[in-house]
This record gives sequence, structure tokens and C-alpha cells, in this order.
Amino acid sequence: MSRFRRALKNKQLVIGMIIAIVIVVLGIVGPAVFGDYSKQDLLRGHKPVGTPGDFFGTDALGRSLAARATYGIRISLFVAISVTGLAMVVGTIIGLIAGYVKGLVDGVISLLIDFIWGFPLILVAVLAAASIGSGLLPVILAVGLVNTVAIARVVRGEVLGISEKDFVVAAKAGGYSTMRILTKHVAPNVIPVALVLSSYYVAVAIIAEAALSFVGLGAQAPLPSLGQMVSEGRNYMRLNHWESTIPGVIIFAMVLSVSLIGDGLRDLLDPRLRTALERARAK
Amino acid sequence: MGSQHHQDDAVRAASDLVDSYQNGRISRRQFGKGLIGLGIGATAASVIVVACGGSSSKTKATTAAGATENTTAGTPKVGGTLREGYNRDISKLDPITTNWYDPAFSAIYETIVTDDPDGKTVAQFAKSFTVSADGLTYTFEIPEGRVSHSGGVMGAKQIAEVLTTIKEKSFIGGVSTVPMDGYSVDGNNVVLKMKNAWLGALNPHKTGYWGLLNIDTWNKAGGTDPKSTYGTASTDGTGPFTFGEWVPGSHCLVNRWDKYPGSNTPYITNKGKAYLDAIRWNVITEAGQRATQIEGGELDTLIGPSYADLERLKGNKKLTVIQHPEWSGFQLSMNRDYPEYFGDVETRQGLSHAINRQGLVDAILFGNGDATYGPFPKTDRQYEPKVEQFNQFDIAKAKDLLAKAGWTAGSDGVLTRNGKRFEFAAVVEDETVQKLIAEAVTQQFKEVGVVSKFEVVDRAVAFEKESGAGQKAAPMSLFFWLWPVPLDILVIFSSSETIPVPNFSHVKDDKIDAAVAEWRKSGTPDAAQAASSNFQLLWAETLPYIPLMNQYATFVHQNYVKGWQPFVWLLYPVYNDVWMDK
Repeated sequence: MSRFRRALKNKQLVIGMIIAIVIVVLGIVGPAVFGDYSKQDLLRGHKPVGTPGDFFGTDALGRSLAARATYGIRISLFVAISVTGLAMVVGTIIGLIAGYVKGLVDGVISLLIDFIWGFPLILVAVLAAASIGSGLLPVILAVGLVNTVAIARVVRGEVLGISEKDFVVAAKAGGYSTMRILTKHVAPNVIPVALVLSSYYVAVAIIAEAALSFVGLGAQAPLPSLGQMVSEGRNYMRLNHWESTIPGVIIFAMVLSVSLIGDGLRDLLDPRLRTALERARAK
Repeated sequence: MGSQHHQDDAVRAASDLVDSYQNGRISRRQFGKGLIGLGIGATAASVIVVACGGSSSKTKATTAAGATENTTAGTPKVGGTLREGYNRDISKLDPITTNWYDPAFSAIYETIVTDDPDGKTVAQFAKSFTVSADGLTYTFEIPEGRVSHSGGVMGAKQIAEVLTTIKEKSFIGGVSTVPMDGYSVDGNNVVLKMKNAWLGALNPHKTGYWGLLNIDTWNKAGGTDPKSTYGTASTDGTGPFTFGEWVPGSHCLVNRWDKYPGSNTPYITNKGKAYLDAIRWNVITEAGQRATQIEGGELDTLIGPSYADLERLKGNKKLTVIQHPEWSGFQLSMNRDYPEYFGDVETRQGLSHAINRQGLVDAILFGNGDATYGPFPKTDRQYEPKVEQFNQFDIAKAKDLLAKAGWTAGSDGVLTRNGKRFEFAAVVEDETVQKLIAEAVTQQFKEVGVVSKFEVVDRAVAFEKESGAGQKAAPMSLFFWLWPVPLDILVIFSSSETIPVPNFSHVKDDKIDAAVAEWRKSGTPDAAQAASSNFQLLWAETLPYIPLMNQYATFVHQNYVKGWQPFVWLLYPVYNDVWMDK
């Protein structure tokens, strides 16, 4: 069965992809459809969903919740995907080097990884914000650093095991260069793991960005972020809960879609899990 | 006799009018017109309108002093801890070094005089006071045998010493007491000599900054040294409660002082020690949480609920909402040490005309406030309505003034002058209302091609960023002031003597300074009003700050709380009469 067909049969992956596509489309076309996210109409504040002229409602300053939420999706996706993508590349390379080269290099890298891993993401973000000020940059730095370390840590562990396998030992005996062994023999076996892990860390990044914006360390007003919208809306929960509900539901959907995609990818790409699943299905 | 009849008729007519308004039979506008028709001045009428329920809501009417539902009738019960929600963080409890005073000040400290519910100056710590006919000498009779919480003697000598220290060393004392010569002792009296007669001499003495304390304790704790523990680990006042605990960002606790001899203040009915065992103020900076907590019974009283929750609170039969005008305002500073932005009056006026103040009041305060076009709230006794000719929302005028000032729009719509884009950093405190105002103003400036980038920081950092010298202070800051007599604080904000703190705009304007000097020389009500009007008009035209709006003071209490009666002339309630019937 081709990989594509297997993917289509994976319900988690399909549902996750459908939700993700809807969210990405909203993020791309939403701001164009719903207009300027900063445009205010002070006489039309706190309108609930279903209000004629403001179907998705408005916030305290009469700004369109739809325009702000769809722009917030852009920010969340930008932070989550770009940062985690970069973290995956850098983390995988670091993990490969540490796990394969071993010795002093591994010792130093592992020490750094353990040191950074000891700090919770929120604390790293607070430290970054304290040094360079609030905004998206400290969030990107904090999420990027923690995600890189997380991926490097797992990849290193995988590489340590793979580098002792017969096919790697044979490649070494065959006189292949370290680069060739890493790229042709080791990396293909750890990339699926890194990919699955990255999907988890995309979800972590979405939640982290939202949480940091919720407490005021992330995107700064008037730039809309989903976490910041939830935070602002919570003051009006009894008046117009949509101001928090809409961004809250979007955060939930984004994290759900990424988690489903991650689980689906794991079933699809992890050779050990795939073999086990196929065996189970054959029985 | 005829005059008495006339007064009775007027009182009856006013009473009928209030009744009609509170029962929704007439509109707010009709009510206001009716009051003016009865010969009540426009300012007083607006005070009454607000006091009788500013909104046109049909829900339970609010009262100026909670008089009808928050009576002290019945036998007071002793005991219990009053849990009070407070909408700000709690400042250091040291009158001399604080830059803000909070409700705990009126529990721990007494001032030498205070205001009564009618706005009349009455004794508080002093037994009595007199003013000489020429207005140059104020004599305060100090009661015998009074001591501070630690047992230190608080006689005339000690009171004169602490008042002198406040005048000379406090954050705000020196600049608000320029016409005062000094304090001396004469037997049991403290005598204040004036350089000239000044109608405002007693005003600062009524504020929390003039809270009387044991100066020896204050000195021992460190005095003005920033490391002083006075106000953070201990206090030593003469009020009915003693220091318990001060945890910034969380709460403040005071305990009943069992040796409190009773209040000299005529309107305080409890002439002995306080009824409550303790008072705990819980800092609740999340606006939505305040109403939820008092509705859920976690609080007994609340200062400053979110206006979004007000109608719901008014409809709750277990609660009473008290609302009245507040001597406060939201303003934007414009640091003149950035002359490229704010150096010329046309630019400042252009920015001011870009702001839709009434829109801010409606959207952010839910109508519980007034747009301000000059420095004062509309409800102030000295309010000069002619300021309303300035600073009205008018985008076309704003653009025209900015163009006259030499600003031209660049390709991205942002104004530029002499190669400099009109784009600047600004500071705002991390507080719900102020953040929303900053967001709204940012968008309104954007409409005329001006980019303001507000940084949200906590209260202490905001103050630090507002108070620097030269360009160390932010180009613009949005801040909130609160003071029982607006003129007293607003002259300090704009006098050249007080650069950089609290003249955050670093304004050096000869005309404004002359207006301040005129106010400080005014010894009669007419002279004071003339000086005040002149100051307000100059201020509204030249804009040392951009006025935005002011809010109404709002308080909520559970109906079982008795004697908790915040009123219009004081910022916070007094606590000696408070007891709980539960």
C-alpha cells in the first residue's frame, strides 16, 4: 500500500489535516475578508456573534473579532511553525552530532541541553522578556530555544542506539565518511521521530505563544494575538463571552489539529510502530 | 420667614425631582434641567445627577453616600475582619515617601483636618481649628494625651514636627505648600503661618500625604532612605487601626487599635475604638474578578468594580452600589524634551482634536464618566465650562493643525517633518482601563498619520519611565491621577518647579507658571475661581497634557456591612463606624 493511501486511511491524520487546512485558510484569507483588525467603532463595542453587520461580534473598542482572530491565527502559526521548523532542523543536527560523535562533544552538548532543559518554558520567556522587553521576539527566542533543546535531546538518544546497529557498523567498516553515514544511514531513521516530535512541539509553541500573550509578555497591542484576545475578553465574560470564546476555540482547534496530525504521522512514519501496527492488523 | 418658605418649597421640589428621576419617570437631561431650574448651579446639578444614578438604568438607584441602605442604625456588632477588594496595587504605607495613597491610609492615619459629607472642612486629629481674619494664620488645637500606636507622645510639638517634615521632605509636600511659611507651637496649638492668604491652604492637609505619624519611629526606620522599612514592615500612626501586614500585589492587613481614644471628626458616630477586628484589602487588578468575588461572597466591600459589571451588581439584591463623581482623570503626557514631536502648540492641539473622548467614555467606561476638554472633571466645584471650546473631536481640524505645524504624510501615510517620522514610544500601566484607552488612542492617532507605540508595564515601572529627566522620560505616557482637589495636583503637574516629577511633560511655560502663582495668591473665593478659570483655559489651549476623560467613583458593599459610607469629598471610606451585621 502506498504511503499516500495509508495516509488517507489514517483518520487522525485526515481529521487533523482538515482542521489545519481550515485554520490556515482562515489565517491567510481572513484578514482580507474581514478587514482591518485595528479599525475601531467605539459605538459598536461588545457585540455578540450574530449581530447584523458584525456577524462574528466585536470587542470592547468595536473591533471585528473575526478580523482580529484571523490575524491572531497568522501570528500563532508564524511563531509555531517557523520556530519549531527551525528548531527541528537545528535540534536534529545537534542531536545527530552529539549522539554520533560522542566523547567530549557529546558531553558538552548534553550538559548544555540538560542545563536549558531544567528551565520551564515560561521562565525562559520571562527571562527573555526581562532582557529585551515584551513582544514576539522573546517568545520566539524562548520557544525556539526550548524546542531546539527538546528535539536535540530525543534525537541524540535515538542516534546513540542507531549508531550501534549493524548497518551503521557495516557502513563504518566499509570506509564511508561520517557525513555520508549520518546523512544516508542515521538521519533517515531519526527524521521521522523528529518530525513526529516537532508536531508535538508545534502544539506546545501555539499554547506557549497564547499563554505568554495572555500574561502580557507576547504580542503587544494593538497587534492581535489569540492569547491576548482571550485575556482581554475575560473581563467581559458575563457581558459578551464571545470575546474570549472565539479565540479560545481557535487555539483549541489549532492544538487539536496539530496533535492529531502528529499522532497520524507517528503511525505513518515510525517504522517500528508501523510494523507493529501492520502485524496487529494482519492478525 | 418668607425666605424659609421659599427654601422649603425648593427642597420639596428637588426631592420630587430626584424621586421622579430615580423611578425613571423623567430622563437624565430633564432631571438636570429641572435642577438648574430650581436655581442649582450647573456643576452642582451634574454632581447630583451622577449621585442619583448617572445611567438611565431602571435598576436600583445608587446613592451619594449610601445613606438609605447603609445606615448605622441598629446596635453595632463588634468583631470580624472586613474583606475589601481594591482595584490597584497597594503603595508603601508611608505618607511622606509614597507617590500614591490607598484606603489603608484612612485606617492607620488621621489627618489634622478633613472634609465632611457636605464638603465642609472639619477637625480630624485636631480638637478644633481657626483661621485668622486676614487668612494668614491657621491655628489647630491639639488634643491632650494622644499617643501613636507605639505609645509615642503626639502633642503639639510632635505634630508641628511631623507637619514640617511632610512639608519639607514629602514627595508632594514642598510643591503643594509654596504659600505656607511654616508650622510652630503655641501651647497646645500648632500654628501655621502663611506667606500670603491662600484659600487652598487646608486642602493638602486633608490628603493621605499629610497622614500624621510618629516622626521618631519614621526616622528610626530610615526616613527618606529608599531602604527604610517604614510603611512596609511597620507604621506608627494615630488612626483606629494598626499595621498588620503589607504584601504588594496581594493584600494589606490592619488590626484594631484597642487604645484608640475615639474620633474628633463630627460626622463619625463611633466615638470609641473601631468595631471591626481587622480589615484586609485584597488587590484585584483583574477587572472582571472583582465583581465575581463580591457576588460570590469572598468580599464584603469593593472599591472600583469593572463598569462592565455595574448593571449586574446594581441588580443584585444582596449588594448596594454607591457611585459619585471622582476627582480624577486620564491624561497623556507629552515630553517637551522631544521638541521634534511636541514642541509646538499646533501639533499638540492636532493630536488632541484627533481623540474621540466621548467615544472612550461610552466604550470603555460604559458611560460612567465624562469627557474632559480641560484639566478638571466636569463635576469639580471650580470647573470652567469654557474649556469645552477646545479639544473637541474633529479629525479634519486635527489634520489641518498638523499640516499647519509642518507635518506632511509620507508614502505609508505616516506624518513626517524635517525628515523625522511622527512615531514615538509611549508608556501605559498594566491596568485594564488604561490599556484599553491606550489601544483606542493609538488607533485614533493612526487616523491622522501618527504612530504611538505603547509599552505596557507595571505600575512601578510606569512611574519610573514617566519620571526621568530630559529624554530619560518616555516621549508620551498615559496616566491616571486621583486627588481630592483637582487644582492642587494639576498645578503641580504643569508647574516648571516640578520638572521632572510630577511634571512628566517637562513643561516650562511662563503663562502657566503665572497662572499657578495667581492661584497661590488667591485669598478669596472669587479670586480663587478667577485663578482657577484662567489656569484651566490656558491649560486647555496650550495643552501641557492631553486631557481624555474622568470616571465616576464606584463602591459596592454587601448589605450586611453597615457604616461603610464613602462620600464624594474623600477618595476612600473611613472605617471607624464600620461593622458587620452577620
